Amino acid sequence: MIDLIQNTLDGAMVGSSYALLALGFTLIFGTMRRLNLAYGPTIMAGAYLGTYASLRFGIGALPVAIVVVVGAALVGLYVERLCFRPFGDSAAIASMVSSFAVWMQIEEAATLLLPRHLNAFPALVAGPPFTLGPFLFRPEHLLMLAVATAAAGLVYWALHHTRFGLGVRTVIDHRRAAEIVGVPVERVLMLAFILASAIGGVAGFLIAATDHQITPMFGMWATTKGLIAMMLGGLGSVPGAIAGGLALGIIEAHMQWAFGPQVRDLIAWGVLFAVLALWPGGLMGSRRLADAAAVQRRL
Amino acid sequence: MDDFLIGVLTNIGIISFVALSAYMLLLSGEVSFGQQAYFAMGAYAAGMVTAMLGWHLVPALLAGALVGAAAATAVGSATLRLSGFYFAMATLAFAEMTRIAFELFAFRIDVGGTPVGPNGTDGFGDIRYLFENGITPLQYLMFVYALLGLVLTGFFVLERTRFGRALRQAGADPLLAELQGLSVVRIRLLAAAAAGALAGLGGGLYVHLLTYIEPASFNIMLGVHSLAYGLIGGLGTALGPVLGVLIDIGVLESSRLFAGYRMIVFGGLVALLLIVRPRGLLDERAVHWITSHLKRSMYAAGRSGLDGSLRRR
Repeated sequence: MIDLIQNTLDGAMVGSSYALLALGFTLIFGTMRRLNLAYGPTIMAGAYLGTYASLRFGIGALPVAIVVVVGAALVGLYVERLCFRPFGDSAAIASMVSSFAVWMQIEEAATLLLPRHLNAFPALVAGPPFTLGPFLFRPEHLLMLAVATAAAGLVYWALHHTRFGLGVRTVIDHRRAAEIVGVPVERVLMLAFILASAIGGVAGFLIAATDHQITPMFGMWATTKGLIAMMLGGLGSVPGAIAGGLALGIIEAHMQWAFGPQVRDLIAWGVLFAVLALWPGGLMGSRRLADAAAVQRRL
Repeated sequence: MDDFLIGVLTNIGIISFVALSAYMLLLSGEVSFGQQAYFAMGAYAAGMVTAMLGWHLVPALLAGALVGAAAATAVGSATLRLSGFYFAMATLAFAEMTRIAFELFAFRIDVGGTPVGPNGTDGFGDIRYLFENGITPLQYLMFVYALLGLVLTGFFVLERTRFGRALRQAGADPLLAELQGLSVVRIRLLAAAAAGALAGLGGGLYVHLLTYIEPASFNIMLGVHSLAYGLIGGLGTALGPVLGVLIDIGVLESSRLFAGYRMIVFGGLVALLLIVRPRGLLDERAVHWITSHLKRSMYAAGRSGLDGSLRRR
């Protein structure tokens, strides 16, 4: 019983970083209706810039965090300009494949920046794990949970209480209608893309600072975890992304404990496949999105 | 021909199968990130048939294609309701499950004193059919391209049949296709099965070329690459995906061009190409232009030939 709760707690804390990854993904998907495969590599590029800065200039954890987030946002802007802006409202598959091509670019650029496969990433909290009752906590995990909650709250607030957020929600509802009522759609899309990449940067920093290391594989890892979490929660839904991330973290923690890492990944993908086949809208999404998109295409 | 060139050309031919498999689904309007799953299944099945049962290559390849088609049909029926990104994600999920399942799959039997068979993450080696039967790399190259030629001919014939047109129609506008009385679900299921068979066949060829495979070779990268080949080369003709493979493996990977920053150059070129030509180099318009010009010049040549013969008389 104690193990069960401990695993759930650990899973929820790791899951909070998945939730952030999914949140960024879902912002891009919701506004643009397209998949940014280069999302994980964008974050990886930010983390590489942060590692480079810390190795080169010996800066502390907080400045590194700023470099990571700003770096991810700038690389995100590059991806948006090259893979999404030129296609406008058409050619969704082409922009997805294009984002894959840019993924290859980013990965090679990162290995040129830091040629070693494994690079040390500055740790955020040096404190040892502590116990609370029968349960063990890592300070990094608590910080991850706190920052992820704060970031998700901030995004939710921005979406519901700012002019930009209103623009984003209008574009998510209906892009053409948003254009007609005078929402500067291209600017909203660009800002949403940058915001999503910056959120990814926050997630990437938290994960890398917890693991104390970063490899070029981080890009693929972040893309797949973010994708699974987003799809579990339902495409384009902010609460869904959070729920999907937490659910994925908890499922993985239990499976890892019971069966080891291979079966853990097998089950994570299996759950995604089953959810898609049986319940295509995800945990919190609805069929409305897909139907609305189909109707929009017909018009 | 030197061995390096033969190796590269054989590889291009084999990867073309999985690229054509992704292309088949793109024609039906579905994006699959998961054709590497059927490629892997075909590879394992065909390798097991020759290395463990000691059978001939042809039934082994057939077994690979059959396993690919069966699995693709099963996945296709489970995901019939899905379209767009949901389908793409479901295929990716299935492919990753397949890869991990092969990491856990160990089944070795004793063949001539040594254990042979898939052995989890350590892979599946000792598939020495070509070596044991004295098939030279050049002969195998010919065999691969003969099969590829058959498949391409099949695609050209398909484009001229009712089903081929229905396939393109279902891809271009599924709602309109339904209104015209076509069953989009059935068309897509058939396309998925054919695509699975193609990938399985390619996998069978692949395993005998390499003699050793491991689950890690069948990861997401292979799936997204095979999808990208069609979009780079063009969706207008089955030659498009082959052209895509040729550009990537033939020109860039095999030459020492841009060593060290090849991906930066290639990735940028692909991104820019897709902006100019979102459906690839040989898209429908390009294919139409080429075929109409060909027809016109053939017609002109035929007529001048006739005139000449008339004049001579």
